[in-house]
Amino acid sequence: MPHRLYRSFQALLLLALCLFFAGKLASGQLSYYINLRFIPLTIFGVIFLALLAQTLFSENRRSRQQEHEDEHHDHDHVPANLWFMVVPLAIGLLIPARPLDSSAFATKGFNTTGPMVSSDSAAKLFETESQDRNVLDWVKISYYEKDITPYLDQQASVIGFVYRDDQLNENQFYVSRFIISCCAADASSIGMIVNWDDAKTLKQDSWVLVKGSISSTILKDQTLLVIDAESIQDVPVPEQPYLYP
Amino acid sequence: MFSVQTTNSSKRLSRPLVVAVIIIVLILVASSMLPIIFFTWLWDRLNIFATVFLGIFVEAVPYLLLGTLASGLVEMFLDRDQMSRWISHRPIPAAVTGALMGMVFPVCECGVVPLTRRLFHKGLPLSAGVAFLLAAPVLNPIVILSTAAAFGWKAMLLWRVGLSLVIAVVVGLVFSVEKDASNVLRPVLDMAHDHHHEESKSFVEKIRAAFVITADEFFEMGRYLIVGALLAAGLQTFIPQSALLTIGSGPVLSVLVMLGLAILLSICSTVDAFVALGFVGTFSFGSVLSFLVFGPMVDIKSIIMYAQVFKKRSVAYLVLIPFVMSLLSGIIFNYLSP
Repeated sequence: MPHRLYRSFQALLLLALCLFFAGKLASGQLSYYINLRFIPLTIFGVIFLALLAQTLFSENRRSRQQEHEDEHHDHDHVPANLWFMVVPLAIGLLIPARPLDSSAFATKGFNTTGPMVSSDSAAKLFETESQDRNVLDWVKISYYEKDITPYLDQQASVIGFVYRDDQLNENQFYVSRFIISCCAADASSIGMIVNWDDAKTLKQDSWVLVKGSISSTILKDQTLLVIDAESIQDVPVPEQPYLYP
Repeated sequence: MFSVQTTNSSKRLSRPLVVAVIIIVLILVASSMLPIIFFTWLWDRLNIFATVFLGIFVEAVPYLLLGTLASGLVEMFLDRDQMSRWISHRPIPAAVTGALMGMVFPVCECGVVPLTRRLFHKGLPLSAGVAFLLAAPVLNPIVILSTAAAFGWKAMLLWRVGLSLVIAVVVGLVFSVEKDASNVLRPVLDMAHDHHHEESKSFVEKIRAAFVITADEFFEMGRYLIVGALLAAGLQTFIPQSALLTIGSGPVLSVLVMLGLAILLSICSTVDAFVALGFVGTFSFGSVLSFLVFGPMVDIKSIIMYAQVFKKRSVAYLVLIPFVMSLLSGIIFNYLSP
């Protein structure tokens, strides 16, 4: 591949990657892939990729003016390197963006309890208004609190996607979320049982807002907090489909 | 000479292409006989695959850019004489300095590979470079802070840093036995020529030149990052994590499981502490520690990137010695404080 063509292709790919990241940022779909506290890094990436593309474009313009000097550069070109960068762009553009859902439980596993917590949050958590707690907060409470009676009959209002499995009764479903620390690669999932007479009519993986009061149940020898639902409302996929521990 | 090489590489490319086309045709023929439910299953898998792959990729690209930028700047602003003044050529001091250099360069396991290769090119001794390669992803300030945020300034952090240092220095010393670097490192085409005009270049021109190097190296290393992320995402799409977790909870098996997980997950060392936190309840101190020590040194994408810089036998050493040492230390911890 001739030098200038190679450089142009390289710069175009950098620009495409920059636009791809910027697009994901702007559309909010970045939250399908990484923990949003890494957004500053992604912004750095977008800016630096643009800077690199600009440098290569202007290098190209300069080398057109002084053609002979740049001939010795030709040997470090491996066009295959460039073609590989097309792969993530193709995957990102051809496969519609979709956050992880219950189909990933088969490989990622599914929990109703566990220490999915960073060391500092436990104390803070129990002071929050019951209506402001998300699925993860409630699961943490079932796990950490020895005595859950103060939490019974509190009002809960949580958003998550519907998941039903064989262990549940017909009038129950899980309201579930994925938890990620870094990116979708380390996702794990949690769920909270909801009692709702029409549970059967809910579509697997549809997003719902569950309102109701807290009670408890025992599943596989563990006491879990559950929601006796008073209302179930369909909602769009939230801006942050995952929760962060 | 160069034209010969291009024809070679185009020949190498075309055969996989033919094989790929044949496989796709076979898959199309075979799939026309399958029921619909298989396709919804496949579509779901494909979506998980894409999300996990892009997760790793989007997360890693800024770090890779930082690493290749550091490499570009080293190329333009650091000359060989300075390097040999700073770094001793005796094996032990070189390995220790190399490992401690990680504190200066804030790079994680994606960025450290191109940077190490550049430092080798600048005359860094083998033992120092290898120690740097293994230690930098743990010793750098970002990782220390994130580990402290997850586990506090306590035993886990101290042992993580200490053990990583020890392993990095040991592997560095093993490599110091080899006097001829060309037996260990793969030859690199684009570094064969020297930039003879360096002295005369202005600061801005040097920065521009560093950016061009950054771009070239970003593509060169990005290629292996992409292959590694594809593999990791593929494994995560088809192998249940629970399969690993249920294998065993014994003092030996649980360490093996955590080491396997470290390879499989392929997450960046800057955040793996938060992921490890999720295993604290289910796994012992020693097992989680082995995950935190081994993960930054070896995972799918870093193995593939190592293979780009080192020859096969050296890659085997780089993977196996840390593996055995992390395994042993994990087991020892499990027996001492179960």
